[in-house]
Amino acid sequence: MIKFIAKRLWYGLWVFLGVVTVVFFLFNVLPGDPARMMLGQRADITSVEAIQRELGLDRPVHIQYLNYLNDLSVVSLHNNKKEESLFFLDREKYSATVLFSVKGRSLVMKKPYLRRSYQSNRPVTEILATAFPNTLLLASVSILFAMIIGIVLGVFSALKGNSLFSKGALVFSVFGMSLPSFFAAIIIAWLFAYVLGDFTGLNMTGSLFEVDDFGRGEYLSWKNLILPAITLGIRPLAIVTELTRSSLRNVMAQDYIRTARAKGLSMYRVITRHAMKNALNPVITAISGWFASLMAGAVFVEYVFDWKGIGVVIVEALEYYDFPVIMGAVLLISVILVLLNIAVDIIYGYLDPRVRLQ
Amino acid sequence: MEKKTLLSIENLSVEFSTDEGLVKAVEGVSLTLDKGQTLGIVGESGSGKSVTALAVMRLLSRSTARITSGHIWFDHPNKGITDLLSIDEQQMQHIRGNHISMIFQEPMTSLNPVKRCGKQVMESLVWHRKAKPAEARQKVLDLFREVKLPSPEKAVKAWPHELSGGQRQRVMIAMAIACNPSLLIADEPTTALDVTVQKSIIELMNTLQQDHNMGIIFISHDLGVVGQIASHASVMLEGKVVEFDTIRSIFTAAKHPYTRALLACRPGLKGRMEKLPVVKDFLEAPAAEGSQKEPGESETAKELSFSGKRKKNHERIYSQKPVLEISGLKTFFVTRKTFLGKAVEHYKAVDNVSFSVYKGETLGLVGESGCGKTTLGRSLMRLVEPKEGQIIYKGTNLASLSDSALRRLRPKFQIIFQDPYSSLTPGLMVGKSIMEPMRVHKILSNDGQRKEKVMELLKKVNLEERHFYRYPHEFSGGQRQRICIARAIALQPEFIICDESVSALDVSVQAQVLNLLNALKEAFDLTYIFISHDLSVVKYMADRIMVMKDGQMIETGEADHLYAHPAHAYTKKLIEAVPNPGFW
Repeated sequence: MIKFIAKRLWYGLWVFLGVVTVVFFLFNVLPGDPARMMLGQRADITSVEAIQRELGLDRPVHIQYLNYLNDLSVVSLHNNKKEESLFFLDREKYSATVLFSVKGRSLVMKKPYLRRSYQSNRPVTEILATAFPNTLLLASVSILFAMIIGIVLGVFSALKGNSLFSKGALVFSVFGMSLPSFFAAIIIAWLFAYVLGDFTGLNMTGSLFEVDDFGRGEYLSWKNLILPAITLGIRPLAIVTELTRSSLRNVMAQDYIRTARAKGLSMYRVITRHAMKNALNPVITAISGWFASLMAGAVFVEYVFDWKGIGVVIVEALEYYDFPVIMGAVLLISVILVLLNIAVDIIYGYLDPRVRLQ
Repeated sequence: MEKKTLLSIENLSVEFSTDEGLVKAVEGVSLTLDKGQTLGIVGESGSGKSVTALAVMRLLSRSTARITSGHIWFDHPNKGITDLLSIDEQQMQHIRGNHISMIFQEPMTSLNPVKRCGKQVMESLVWHRKAKPAEARQKVLDLFREVKLPSPEKAVKAWPHELSGGQRQRVMIAMAIACNPSLLIADEPTTALDVTVQKSIIELMNTLQQDHNMGIIFISHDLGVVGQIASHASVMLEGKVVEFDTIRSIFTAAKHPYTRALLACRPGLKGRMEKLPVVKDFLEAPAAEGSQKEPGESETAKELSFSGKRKKNHERIYSQKPVLEISGLKTFFVTRKTFLGKAVEHYKAVDNVSFSVYKGETLGLVGESGCGKTTLGRSLMRLVEPKEGQIIYKGTNLASLSDSALRRLRPKFQIIFQDPYSSLTPGLMVGKSIMEPMRVHKILSNDGQRKEKVMELLKKVNLEERHFYRYPHEFSGGQRQRICIARAIALQPEFIICDESVSALDVSVQAQVLNLLNALKEAFDLTYIFISHDLSVVKYMADRIMVMKDGQMIETGEADHLYAHPAHAYTKKLIEAVPNPGFW
């Protein structure tokens, strides 16, 4: 097991390196001068050149690339003498612990340094660190919502055959799958927070942390999570319902279910002990895919509900060619995808011994 | 119901609602089984034998099947005689797996793939007998020993996919007898297994029956197998029981023409007729022939004259030079790779096999599953790339031929696969399916001529011209296999590799297809490589037989001689395992 995880992490590292490389060179060929962006159109040439030098934009591309990798790596090599060098160990940039130094060079351990935003000049790590937990929370809650309700609905409609319930569930899932999220977001916000607002007590918009007008400072507002989570959960919910339904129906027709029934087990036991574990594989695949895409930010829903998540951060950064922020976000997402995939593989192995690796 | 009677089915009728309306699967079936006895139910697919069994278990699909009449009386050990059709589901759950249990045909799919074998057997004990886990585990170990699983301790912890087919069927049997049922229903329990495994499973079931004093209902399409285990048998045809008698009378004095047909259609191990009788011969003209089939002389005379013809044929065939010479053929599959993708472990599917094929012969290839016979057949056509070795056809080595040169030779070698259901494209009219390879290989100049040719071929394989426009799902298994045959001969091949081509077919259909293959062989001057696990079929078809084991060829010889005097112990074991109740 540990060997398997280590192996997957190792492969994941290579995937990650590929992503870094592609992203870095893509942003290098894109037009736009970061120095101008930081200083505005009317900046004088000396300041522009100073900024360019500071960012290392006047160096050859491969040096910039190496520098970027060095900045990202947890263990990195730095120069602690020449201040003008790109590799200078700048304590303002890096929160580093020096492992050892030889002749003015040090090997250090540090947090990955993702540069600063061209726009706000805030460190990218800080921007992501504030936005990402919001997204993670929203994505997790909506996936949990979709998973629990979806599997229950799916199981019932699989067993009820051609009943009204089963047909209703089917109509719901077709409807849910074809409903665009921005539209659903507006409808849900309007219906539950405006029309029924007095009854539900929910806000049209709002993030997890609200600022109190009466000087209490920031406070947590859990109820703001409800509407965006439901909105985001609708499509995965529809898909999970449909997949559970079809997969379970398939499994119920298998020979080993007949064997289980021939043993005299009750229907409930046949389903919980024999059918579910076999039926869940496609459902897990769908859930993990949706979870990953929700984690990358659900821009529309975050926009409509003014939820301060990573989707909004990325869109804003794209608008202003804020490369460090975009690159940081892309890298964060790819790390999450790699980890998620490993987790899913482990779950598959748990569900079905045949896919377990030797 | 008499006191010794365990189960009595009275006038059972079952209907299925299908897209084409109601279908009567079982009509007025009555059967009785005494305690500690074995009743065989024989019939071909669709005869209603499995439906009858599932009706006893009350496991028929509730949404499609309906029991329209009848009673199933069962002597319940605690409650006395009970009509299984009138009790509620909860009471039935208490009977299933406890007093009546069932084993199924497909050992590969009948065990839950995600539960350990031991757990699956324990489950019934815990459920019905409220056994504590430790007790149940001990009992499972005992059961696994009783069903003679090799290393029972390991089998308890094994996942189903880690066991072979025969071992899984033993696990199924252990599961079925766990609660000491008074009735065991076995639905084709050995059909998917190799003959040698089949033999040991039947022996096991015979022992278990005596030890546990169970009644057994043994369902099979194969009278030979039933003859080895059952004391009585009933023959079913189209949902009705046409004959119900002791095994001895069924084999020696069958009353119904269909029973006689079933006995005759299967190629026996002794004589060899030029043409196998088919069911139609018996059902259509029973009156003309009298109530008893004309026995004896005329048939023996026919067999003798055919044996002379066969001998002459052999002299002609084997005086020529072989047309195909295979030497040192090896086909390996990689089972383990290093980190960089270099192969370090192989499964030797075909390991250094050499033989020759003569023009006009039928070379039989037998062996148990996994012996490499299918891989060998495919390697000859390079459908699987052989690793080493030569395949010399008329002076060219096929093994080293370029892809384009090989493609030009492809029409000469055709293959007919086992499963006629999956080897035809479902969305293509069968006529088009047959025409497609002709187009690829530019046989005949235009589609008009090709279509004419296809029509002609359809008639050759006993189908009709109008079938050109039909789709595969409209045909039965035997008809589909004939379509596949037409597709193969459309390319005017020299060789046809029949890879278990009749194994999936019912006995009576099998006889028709075998007759067709023999007729076509003569008409088109073909050479067959006939691969099968069924020794009696191979013996009937083949001039020479090759026996394979673990990827190697262990014995080869003239068919009759090989059967009469097997040189290798393994060949002997195979021949002995062919079900033979001793009445033939």
